[in-house]
Formats: sequence, C-alpha cells, structure tokens
Amino acid sequence: MITLNNADKINEELESYNKGKVPLKDRMKRKKGDSSYSKKPKLPFKERVKRQWDRNAIVYIFLVPTLLHFFVFQVFPFAFSFVLTFLDWKVIGDPEFVGLKHWIAFMNDGLAWKAIWNTVLFSIYYIVPTMALGLILALIINSGVKASGLFKGIFFLPVVTSFVIIAGIWGWLFRGTESGMVNYLLSFIGIDTQLFLADSDQALMVLAGLSIFKVAGSTMIYYFAGLQSVDKQLYEAARIDGASPLRIFWTITFPLLKPIHFYVAIITTIGSFQIFDSTFLLTGGGPNYSTTTIVFYLYQQGFAGLNLSYAAVLSYVLFFIILVISLIQRKYLGQDTNHY
Amino acid sequence: MKKTITYTLLFLLAFSFLLPFIIMALGSFKDMKYALLDPLFWIPEDPTLSNYLYLFNDGIFLRWIFNSLVITIIPVFSQMLFCAILGYIFAKKKFPGREVIFWVFMAVIMIPQQLLIIPKYIMFADFGWINTYWALIIPELWGIMGVFLVRQFLQNIPNDLEEAARIDGANDIKVFFKVILPLSIPVVATVGTFSFISNWNDLFQPLIYMTKEEMFPVTVGLASLLGKEGDFGIEMAGSTLSFVPTFIIFLFFQRYFTEGIQMSGLK
Repeated sequence: MITLNNADKINEELESYNKGKVPLKDRMKRKKGDSSYSKKPKLPFKERVKRQWDRNAIVYIFLVPTLLHFFVFQVFPFAFSFVLTFLDWKVIGDPEFVGLKHWIAFMNDGLAWKAIWNTVLFSIYYIVPTMALGLILALIINSGVKASGLFKGIFFLPVVTSFVIIAGIWGWLFRGTESGMVNYLLSFIGIDTQLFLADSDQALMVLAGLSIFKVAGSTMIYYFAGLQSVDKQLYEAARIDGASPLRIFWTITFPLLKPIHFYVAIITTIGSFQIFDSTFLLTGGGPNYSTTTIVFYLYQQGFAGLNLSYAAVLSYVLFFIILVISLIQRKYLGQDTNHY
Repeated sequence: MKKTITYTLLFLLAFSFLLPFIIMALGSFKDMKYALLDPLFWIPEDPTLSNYLYLFNDGIFLRWIFNSLVITIIPVFSQMLFCAILGYIFAKKKFPGREVIFWVFMAVIMIPQQLLIIPKYIMFADFGWINTYWALIIPELWGIMGVFLVRQFLQNIPNDLEEAARIDGANDIKVFFKVILPLSIPVVATVGTFSFISNWNDLFQPLIYMTKEEMFPVTVGLASLLGKEGDFGIEMAGSTLSFVPTFIIFLFFQRYFTEGIQMSGLK
C-alpha cells in the first residue's frame, strides 16, 4: 500500500515534469481537444485542490503570509514612493497632486547634483583602494603563512563592526588639531597639522578611508576564494620557466581573477552609492557640502526638512543609478546572481 | 628573505587593523578629561572604571542595549526559521508560479533600502508604529537574501532522504523539521549571523523610526553621544560595550560569515 502510494507520487512527479517540457504551443493545441490529451480524464476541481493541499500544505501555509508581507513591506512602498514623487505630501493635511514639480525641482537643484558628484567622487576614492587592499590581504593570507585563520579574522573584524563604533574612533584619529593622532604621526615626517574633516578638500577622503578600512575584509574574502580556485599547475609551470613572482602575479594570477575583479567592483560601487552613516556621524554633510552624499541629502530633505516627496524623487534617482550598475553586472555575469 | 617580508607586512597590516579596536578598549578605561590633550592618551597610566560606571548609572545606556537586543534577537530567530522554510519551499517544492515569485524576489532585492524608508515612514506613522519596536521587528521577520542562501544550499542536496521520510509516511511539516532543518544547520547559522549583524549595527532605519531617546537602539544612542565634545572616554566605553555581543557572535560564527559572504555577494 505504502509503495503503491509512492509509485503514484513518482508518476505524478514525472507527469508534471513532462508537462513542463511540452512546448507551450503543443499544450495549447492539446487543450483544444487533441485526442491524445483528452483521453485522460481531468480530475474534478475539488479533488485537485485536495491533492495540492496534501502534497504542498507547507507551501500554502507559509507562502501566502510571506507574499502578503512582501507586498506590504516591499512592493507597496516601492509603488507608493513613486506616486509620492508626484504629490506634495504634508505631514499634516491632505496630499496635493503637483505633477512633475519635484522632478523639475531636482533637475534645477544644484545641491542635488553636487551630492551626486560627491558620491561619484567618493566612489573614486574608495573602490580601487578597497579592491587593492582586499587583494593584497588575500594574497598574503593565501601565501601559506601560519595562523592564516586568525589573521583572516582580524582583517574581517571591521566588516562586522558597526559604523558608529568605527566612526567614533576614526573621528578621534583624524582630529584636525595637532593633538590628533594622525597629525601627531605626520609631524614626525615633517607634515604640518592637517584639518582633515574640517577641510572641504580632505573630508571626503577621510570618510573614504574609513570605508576602505571597514570593507576591505569582505573584498579579501572574495579574492581569497578566487585565489584558491586558481589551478596550482599554472604556477608550477611558470616557475619552471623561471618567471619571477611579480611576473607570475601580473601574467597569471591577476588576469585569472578577472571575474572576481568585476564582481567586487560592482558590489563596492553599489555600496559606495549608498554611503550615509559616516557622513551623518562625522561631518553632517559639511564642510561646505563637500561630504553631502545622495543618501545624506535624501535624509536631510526627507527627515530633517520633512520634504518627503522631494526625498522620494532623490531615492528614485538613487534607485536608477543602482539599477544601471546592477544591469551591467547581469549583462556581464549571466542572468542570475547565483554564479557561485 | 621573502618570508620575512611577507610576515613583516602581515604583522604591520594586522596591527593597523587592530589599532582602532585597541584604542577603543584602552580609551574606555581612561578619564575623559585628558582625551583632548594627548594624542597617545589611550595608553593606560591610571586606568579607571568611571566611564563604565557612568554608563551603568546613567540608566538610559542599558535601555539602549536592551532595545538593541529586542530588535535583534527576535528577527534573528524568526529569519532563521522562515528563511529555512521558504528556502526549502523554493528549492524542493513544485507549485504553480514558483519561478515567477522567486524571480520577483530577486528583482526586488535591487531596490535600495533608502527608497523604501520614506513610504515606510509614512505607513508606520499611520500604523502608530513610530517609537515602537514593531517598526524594526515586523519588516525584518524574513529576508529575501536568507531565502536565497537556503535555496542555493538545499538545491545541492539530493532528495533521497526526503523521499525516504515520505515513504515512512511523514507529512510536510515533519519532513521539514526532522530531515531538512537538521541538514540546513550551516546555512541557517549563516542566515542568523547575517541577520544579527545587520540588525545590531543598523543606524539608518532606527534613526528614522525612533525619535524618543528611550527607544533608541545602541547605534543611535552612541551616535547621540558622538556629538558631545570631550566625552571620548564614555563614548569608547559605550562602543566597547556595544561591540561585545558582535565580537562574541563573530568568535563563534566567523566561518558562517565568510561562507555566507562568498555565497551571496552581500555588502
């Protein structure tokens, strides 16, 4: 009896599998009364529901609430935010339809464009050093040093530490007076006291430095995985040919890591466009708006200025930028994120 | 020779990565009034517990830690359970619309959180969720990334065990808890650690949903201390205390972090 049940199940599985394989055109044809299909009597609706339930109860018990939750907290806000860009949303009182007013305001908002430019500038300061440092860390860890697990842990520690903690220490390290620790160290090599966070040319770089410190550990993990998948025989062959370690690196290791370079570049770029915490904590967007990033400006407009509709426009601008970056990723790395 | 260079570089880098944490820990034992005068002030001369005592007596700091625990622990366990179940559903179950739903999930993951926060703020104000834990717990009960990780993991596991359990007459729920969940422990641990870190460290969302000081999680609370000039010792003591849970989780689950990062491309 039990085996029979199972055989029935397997048959059913096979059937549904095969059904999926039949081209849509053929299936349509069959539905229209093709004899080979209509021979099998269709189960009554009630019976089919019961079967589905017996086999897939867990699906319906958990998937329905999940989809509801997904709709309320992801899909609806996403759509609502778009509608919001065409309204004047007031904290008190009814919203008013204003058409493209906020989009036009954005086009003419010098500060918004400066925020975008600042964010691009931040990316420039941040992406390549993060990748380079991550690669260097991975190369050292992978070179067969002792206690590599411990060192991996040390380099990864900032990744799991909150921005608030690191920003507190970073702000102290980069104090713009002669008693600041970095200034103190610089004085030994004859460099004058720098203003750092109070200097509009340096502040963004100091913030980029913080992010490099915080994120290099995760770049290291990607590169480490990449390095481990490089065929060891290639190194052997190159060594026998008498290639120097530096030459081996530039002609073998570096080009073979190309997919990792690309992947890491994309995710650090996406991350850099969302930078908010460090500028909020350390500079408040200043001095002279030099560290006002897109998300910080969005926060200021939306939650300090209570101009929620305009903030929604800015958030859509951010979304479009990230969308373009993600599409580039998909184009070059296949249709899905699951390339690992 | 080459070895010496490698090790020198390794130790230098490790020291610079640890230095901020050393400064934090040592600074927390120093009297704050020296903080501004001496760049090397964190090197201990007369360690004191006064910063810690101040935070404990202040009361509000312990409340912040408590708030952080509430908005972290509940989502961590809920994410582990629901992501495991949903990951299983999407990996092994056949039902109409499976691929479409999953595809929509993966598309939505590209939407930056900063976009959703504005409409969510309006919604939560309407629900009466501002300055309540609900605003930070309910939306975090499950996560697309967690479902994705579990799905990836279970797709590589053969169906034999599951089929065997079914032949023995186990129903869906039983199969999940007796067979699938024990198998998925590594990936569920990854989901839990990710969830812990992202909730414990989150600044942006609580900054917006929590406006009353007594509802701040520790991140927002520390940020409010940051502004006060001259409280470096207290700030470092607070940072150290808020770092302890992260550090403990990290010590025990480091492997799951790194594996999860490789699997997902998160951060």
